[in-house]
Order: sequence, then structure tokens, then C-alpha cells
Amino acid sequence: MKTQNINIEKEIATEIQNTFHTAEVNIKRNKRIEVKLRNDLIPPFLSYAKNYLTFNHLAHFSCVDWIEQNEFELVYIIYSYEKGVIVLAKTRIDREKAEFVTTRHLWYQAETYERELHEMFGINFKGNDRLNEFILEDWEGIPPYRRDFDTVKYATDNFYTRPGREDAKDVRENVTKINKEEIPEFAKEYSVRSLK
Amino acid sequence: MNINWLSVLGIITTPIIAFIVGVTYGGLTRRITARIQNRYGPPSSQNLLDIIKLYSKETSIQHGVMQHLGPVFAITASITTLYFIPVIKNSVVFTNLSFNGDLIFLLYIMVFGSLGMALGAGQTGNPNAAIGVSRGLSQMVGYEIPFVLSLVAIMTQFHTTSLTDLLAVQKHFADWIIFQSPLAFIAGILAFLGMMGYAPFDVVIAPAEIASGPPSEFGGKYLALMMTSRSIFTFAKLVLFTDIFLGGASDFITLIIKTFLLYMIPVLTGIVFPRFRTEQSICFFWKWPLVFGVLAILVVVL
Amino acid sequence: MIYDKSSGKIVDIIKNYARKHSLWIVAYGTGCGAIELPPTMTSRYDAERFGIRGSATPRQADVLLITGYLAVKTLKRVIRTYEQMQDPKYVIGFGSCTINGGMYWDSYNTVKALDRYLPVDVYINGCMPRPEAVISGFIELQKLIEAGKANGAKKYKENLDWYRENQRKVIKNWKMPDYNW
Repeated sequence: MKTQNINIEKEIATEIQNTFHTAEVNIKRNKRIEVKLRNDLIPPFLSYAKNYLTFNHLAHFSCVDWIEQNEFELVYIIYSYEKGVIVLAKTRIDREKAEFVTTRHLWYQAETYERELHEMFGINFKGNDRLNEFILEDWEGIPPYRRDFDTVKYATDNFYTRPGREDAKDVRENVTKINKEEIPEFAKEYSVRSLK
Repeated sequence: MNINWLSVLGIITTPIIAFIVGVTYGGLTRRITARIQNRYGPPSSQNLLDIIKLYSKETSIQHGVMQHLGPVFAITASITTLYFIPVIKNSVVFTNLSFNGDLIFLLYIMVFGSLGMALGAGQTGNPNAAIGVSRGLSQMVGYEIPFVLSLVAIMTQFHTTSLTDLLAVQKHFADWIIFQSPLAFIAGILAFLGMMGYAPFDVVIAPAEIASGPPSEFGGKYLALMMTSRSIFTFAKLVLFTDIFLGGASDFITLIIKTFLLYMIPVLTGIVFPRFRTEQSICFFWKWPLVFGVLAILVVVL
Repeated sequence: MIYDKSSGKIVDIIKNYARKHSLWIVAYGTGCGAIELPPTMTSRYDAERFGIRGSATPRQADVLLITGYLAVKTLKRVIRTYEQMQDPKYVIGFGSCTINGGMYWDSYNTVKALDRYLPVDVYINGCMPRPEAVISGFIELQKLIEAGKANGAKKYKENLDWYRENQRKVIKNWKMPDYNW
């Protein structure tokens, strides 16, 4: 890989590390820094990044379901127009009692992301008073983006499936044979499930 | 009782001829538009087929009495306007009901259709229709003033309010009012652009913006009636302008040539221009056409 | 009235000819397939030469084109749009998603067989169907109309209970107005 000039990333990383001692700061690659924080440090960190480090654009806010560790990982992707650097601020919250604080006061568009995460993952954001029905209408049961939600079962239970697709084959085996590749272990399981 | 059977024949055939000519012009317009946009285009009978299909559709939704009456008002106004315009010069059959003083009467009756439509669209309760009606009536205020000014200039110049008298004035090619009073013609033709409702003055029925505006709740037979009325009214307006400015027509071939050339002015303007907003179109009408209209009157008076 | 068999037949022939050559589509795209309509309409493929035209409101339209996957939320709106249209009306299912779910076969929010919920006259296969396929689907519909076989709306009225039952199974909170057609 070509050596890249990552001076500005190093500067920002040391600055963050000096301010938040418990933070785990990694420079992933050119113009991309990953910051892992305790969840109670996220609001001060975002405020600090926005006001002192000029990261004043919330590009995205999403969630990853780590069902094995019984945790949700929240990812804030913020961007600085002056420095041209992306920071991914990651934190983990409890999956059973999914609750977090809103960042609506920093970026108003966070409200929409929070509504989406509330609907799709069932995370409750304290301080956001607009966590009402957003994209799904009349949804009952567990939120659909959680990994313990079985979408194939839900789809076959609720929607009529036209016959004729039962003999659908997993063509990946043929494709990998032709290209002399191997299917990784975790992907094999998925292929078996889809055949059921 | 002495019935003039030739007039009766005229009264029966005039709307039919007007409908056929108007519908064909509409189809031709779509084809010409298509050719300019480098498309093949629909056949010229497309508008007629559309109207037949709409008449054959079921119409089971009703919002009230006024919704039924709106399209009826529109077609009544169109046919009445047509009856008071001499279609063929000096012809017994097609003189119809035109009498002395008919220009002023025409000014009133031409607005009647739009008002009927406004009432009908208001009854449907669709917000898009209400927006379209308000836009249409505002724009009407815009183009009526230069139109009236242009007509007043002509009336003062020739000391008559009768279309038959105006036709009698224009005996030869050089006597046409377009040459005798060009300023009035300019004001009139600019107002005519707004009257025809093609772009850039089609904000009333803007389909992408307000879902076709006033007729947004009218389907089936209502829409068919409105399209029929529009075809007849187009022809009536074209004949009116031909009679006033282009010396009328003594046979049908001349009439078709003159009206078609006149019709191409708004159509070709409409193809190349984008859409004006309501206030922009009113500003336009109260700027240049108004100036030309006032100038035309001043030239006559001074 | 002079409405004996032969004259009725002639009227039917004229009606069907006009209907066949004047198909107005509701400007309502449900899925990604709506992106295939602009090239179908504009100068490259020019659907207007067959009399196919967009119309702004369901009241004026003849054809409801379901362009792609139907979420449950969209299905609700599509049913309302369909019921506001005036007879005769036709439905065209567009793309694999309307036939058997296509790539959304395991989605939690996509209905997989359109003809359980609305009467479909013509299906256009493909993902995506190109404008040529769309136009060929329309020509198929024109043939059906000419032969008087495009009677999806009639089927819908006759078997309304069956369709309603299917629709209610999917749409949990049924708050739909009844239209008096």
C-alpha cells in the first residue's frame, strides 16, 4: 500500500487522546479515524468535536446489533469540512435495556436518525420527543432490524408466497468452484438457511 | 312563421365543424410538439380517440350539483361564443346569431366558461383544484386587460362594435386591421397567448405541480365534456381573431389556413418556453401588452 | 332505444378501439421501476405513438402501473388509488417483485404476489424490464382490450370479499374509506 500523509489525522488523534484518556483512538486509514468511547462520554465528545475540532457535519448515525455480546453499537459518523477528515465515534449500549440520550441539540438531523433507530432497533432516545411512527405502519412485535427477528419466518407467515421457487439453488457453490474460491464458514450457514 | 332554414342548418353544423377542426388541431399540436422533441408522436386523431374513450368511461363519483354543471357551463359558453361569431364572411349559413354590438357581448360571454369551471372545480373540494382556480382567475385578470384595450382601440378606430362591420371594412389584403392597427394586433396576440393556455402561461393546469389543477377531480364524461368544450372554444377564439385582424375568410380553405397559422403562434411559443409562475405571467401581461394596448388607443385618439 | 345486438356490437367495437388507443397511466411509481418510465415516454422509445400518456390524477386514468416492489405501506395507498379510478381500469404488474417477490422474497415488509390484492391484467417480467418490454406489455394489454378480455375491474368487483380478506390480512390497522363504485 502506498504510504500516505496522515499527519493531520495523527494530530487529531493525539488531541482526542489527550482530552479523553479512556478513549480508544485508531487511525483506520487516510482521512478516517475511529474513536471508541464509554457511552456516557459520547455527548461530551460530540460536543467537543463539533465545537473545538470543527467536526460540524453529522454524516450518518447508525447502529450495529452485536447479539453475541448482548450489546448495540452506536456509530456516529461526523465530518469536518475544514480538515476533510471523517471520525467514527463508536459506543456500546446494553441490548436488553436499550436506552441512550439524544444528540438533537447538536445536530437537528439526528432526530430523524433517532426516529429510525427507535423504529428499527427499538432504542429509546431520552430527550427526543418525536419518537413516533416513522416508516413502518402498524408494526407489532420486535423491531425488524434486530438480529433475533427472523425475517424469513415473518415473511412466510404473513405474506403469501407464490409456489415455484422451492427448487431455487444456492449457485454460490458452482460459482466458487469455477473461480477456485472458498465460502467462509459463517456464510455457509446462511446459505443453508436460505434453502430451507 | 318564416323560418330561415339556412340559418338553422348553420346553427346545427357550426358546433360540429368547430369540434372536428378543434380536435384535429389539438391532435396536430401533439404531433408537432412530438416532432420538435424528436419523437414520432401520436396520430393526429389521438385527441378524438381520447375524447371517445372518456365518453365511454363510467362516471360514478359525484361531489354535488355544481360539479355536474361546471363542464356544462363551459360547453354552453363555448357554443354560445361560437354562435355570435360570423364564421364565414357574407355567408347566410354561417352568420349565425351575430348582431350589432356583439364584440362587447363576446367579451362577457367568453369569461362565462371559465367562471363555470371555477364553480364546478370549487365544488369538488380538491385543494389542487382550488389552487388551480385561483391561479386561473388571477391569470385571466392579467390577459383580459390588454385584450379589452386592443378591442377598444379597434372599436374607437372604426366607430363600430359589430364584427360584421369590421369584416366589411377589411375588403382587400391591405385593409386588414393587422396592417391598419398593428399595435392593437400586438396587444391582442399577446393576450391571445395567455388565453390559449399553452406554455409559458399554463400554470393553471400544471400537471406536475398541482395534478392538472381545476379538472383534477373530473374524470370520464366530465373531462370529455371539458375537452370538447376546449376544442370548440379554441376554434371560436381562432375565428374571432381571424375576423378581427386577418380580414375573415370567405370560404373554408382560407379559414383553415388562417386559423391554423394563427394557432401555430401559441403552440410554437409554448413548445420552446418553460412555465411562468402566476405573478410572473400577470407581470408580463401588465407590462408589454398593456403598453401596446394603451399606445394603440393613443394613436387612434390623437 | 335502438340497442339491439348488432348496434351494441358496433358501439363496443368503437369503444374498444378508442380505449385501446388511449391508455392513460397514473403518475404513481411504487418502486425502483418508475425510473424506466421516463425513457419509455421520451424521444428514444416514445410511448405516446401508441396513445400511452401520463395523467396526473387517478380520476382521469385508465392504467395503474405497479412499478416494482410493494411495501405494505404502499399497498394501502395503491388500493386507495385503484379504487378511486373509474371503470374501465387496468392494472399492469411491472417487474419480478410483483410476480413472486423477486429479490425481496424474504423481506419483512413487501407483499410478494400482487394478484392476491389487486386484479392484474398483464404482468411484465424482468428486473428491471427495459422500455421495450414495457411497450410490449402495453401492446399485450391493447390486444386484450380489443378482444374484450381485459376485465380485471369486473373480477375485482365480483370477488371483492376475497380481495378484501387478503388485503386485511396484510394491512393490520384497516382504516380505509369505502368508495361507492
